Amino acid sequence: MELKRRGFLTIAGLTLLGLTAKPGWDIFSKVELPEPSPTPERLAKKKWGMAVDLKKCWSLEKCKDCIDACHRIHNVPDLGTLKEEIKWIWPVPFEKVFPEHELEYSGEDYHQKPVMVFCNQCDDPPCVKYCPTRATWKRKDGIVMMDFHRCIGCRYCMAGCPYGSRSFNWRDPRPFIKKVHLEFPTRTKGVVEKCNFCEERLNRNLLPACVEACKEKALSFGDLKDPGSDVRRALYHRTIYQRLPELGTKPKVYYIL
Amino acid sequence: MTDKREKILGEDTVLFEHIYKTGKGFYITVSILGGLVLLGLYAYITQYQEGLTVTGLSRQIFWGVYITNFVFFIGISHAGTFISAVLRVLKAEWRRPISRASELTTVFILMFGVGSVLIDLGRPDRMLYAIRYAHFRSPLLWDICSITTYLTVSSICLYLALIPDIALLRDLGEKREWFYRILSLGWTGTESQHRRLDKAITFMSILVIPVMITVHTVVSFVFAMTIQPLWHSAIFGPYFVVGAIFSGVASVIVVMAILRKAYHLENYIKPIHFNNIGIFLMAMTLLWFYFTFAEYITIVYGNEPIHMDIFWSKISGKFAPLFWLHFVLCFIIPLPILAIKKYRTIRGTVIASISIILGMWLERFVIIVPTLTRQRLPVEQAIYIPTWVEWSIFIGCISLFMLLYVLFTKIFPIVPVWEIREGREKAVSQVGERIRSYLPDDKG
Repeated sequence: MELKRRGFLTIAGLTLLGLTAKPGWDIFSKVELPEPSPTPERLAKKKWGMAVDLKKCWSLEKCKDCIDACHRIHNVPDLGTLKEEIKWIWPVPFEKVFPEHELEYSGEDYHQKPVMVFCNQCDDPPCVKYCPTRATWKRKDGIVMMDFHRCIGCRYCMAGCPYGSRSFNWRDPRPFIKKVHLEFPTRTKGVVEKCNFCEERLNRNLLPACVEACKEKALSFGDLKDPGSDVRRALYHRTIYQRLPELGTKPKVYYIL
Repeated sequence: MTDKREKILGEDTVLFEHIYKTGKGFYITVSILGGLVLLGLYAYITQYQEGLTVTGLSRQIFWGVYITNFVFFIGISHAGTFISAVLRVLKAEWRRPISRASELTTVFILMFGVGSVLIDLGRPDRMLYAIRYAHFRSPLLWDICSITTYLTVSSICLYLALIPDIALLRDLGEKREWFYRILSLGWTGTESQHRRLDKAITFMSILVIPVMITVHTVVSFVFAMTIQPLWHSAIFGPYFVVGAIFSGVASVIVVMAILRKAYHLENYIKPIHFNNIGIFLMAMTLLWFYFTFAEYITIVYGNEPIHMDIFWSKISGKFAPLFWLHFVLCFIIPLPILAIKKYRTIRGTVIASISIILGMWLERFVIIVPTLTRQRLPVEQAIYIPTWVEWSIFIGCISLFMLLYVLFTKIFPIVPVWEIREGREKAVSQVGERIRSYLPDDKG
């Protein structure tokens, strides 16, 4: 067979392409699965949700127990500035959280009362679809997870979240943690973080830290699919609000008035 | 020796001058630009070590100058393609002397568009994760794909049109002959080579036009795909493309004026070129206004509170000075200059273009930043003042762009010599032929 230069180059090129295609594909398509939870099947059957009873919450003024508990066990730094603030759960005045329920003539006095806000753990989470590296994803039990080791810090999830639930580490947070809690990872500078519904505690059959810390039992947590769960019982026959339900994100955090 | 040189250079000696003659101006320019690049580099090293805390960005306003630069630089890159590809496809003969200058702008500024996003990353060391763990639901991945394609295609366009000129430099055989020999790919200028080159350039020119439109459309999608007020708009794709061509063409006018002056190209880049691009720029000014008007009037009539909050912060709130400044720079100043023939001179078009470039940077800024101040949860203290780090990196990017441009002109001619000669030798008669073909046939 006579092999011309062009023919030879074509064959050589195709061979090279064929040889490198498989390993190349393997490298670039390798998707590391999120760390497996103890029993994935059990997770699929659950749908975690939270209810915040506002009147109970307001009965103790200036109480910060839930915030302190959460920030302590998750190594959330206290940077002391509004600019670089990192927060997983924090209070916002009622009139700002629920402007649509702010009626001028209702005579109610709770406009300025604090409403605890945190990640809504949306059932259709917008943040997940913006992440270019799948560093944030929704688990089978509905928890929106965050992988601090894969986040590249583009902050697109922050642009995608209409609730402002996400914080960014503008600087190395470690010097600003009062006492490092060794059971939860600390973060590096340049990654995004947010509330994780205490998934690390759920794995050990513990309630989320904020729920446990609340003396007034204003927070209820449980499986939304189970009619007997704490959260379902708390919501039963009550007036329920959600943050911006019109956006179609289907929050799994409910506010009871 | 001189005979050979004479034969190759012909009447276009001035086009080669900037390669072989290095004056004092060159060294001064390079050292100033180099200094500014070092300043930018120092700022970036500071940011890399300390984290993004050294910027003015905050939890509330987390995108600022860098993301504005990303949109702005990629916008500018649209001009090169427009002038060289679109005008080539339309057979506009006046493009010949300026096609390379504009393509070069595209290729170089595009790198800084990509670079700006990388500078903005919190963990730049992990940037390749976006490829390794690519998640194609994210509009950022669409950007990566289309910008990479655009950079590849426009680099190929630039290189193809360089080949005959590289061969000329090789034949001159003075400096760096070996280098030109490799890059010229054995070009001898035969009829069949010219035919193939022409085919390849035409093909690439047609290919690059849709790619260019995609690029700025998906850049706008980064914002339009979110549900944030005043970003979530269907008009953003075409609006950004129009803005991109608008600012890009203005940049090419400035580049042309500088090259003309610095390299004595008065005989090649003539007032007619500025006039012709000036007319196009005027059309873009009006088109830009039309899109801006359509965007804002829709918001006003919709009267949704969350949108109106941001709308008023631009019209009469804390962003009003920037908003109105950008409107004056993009519309009020350039329109009369470009519309009135008396002012559409070199000086006039350059003034209009500088105004447009500044205005379009501000436009990107007032699109990106105000939306972040009042995401649905209002926070009182949402102030963003860029720091020296951000400005230094910005200046560093522009200086490095100019430095690369200057160095390029030390190696290659900036006016495509072969295209000028082709115009002189062939196109003049071809155009006559073409016009005759439009006219009624002679009966005889």
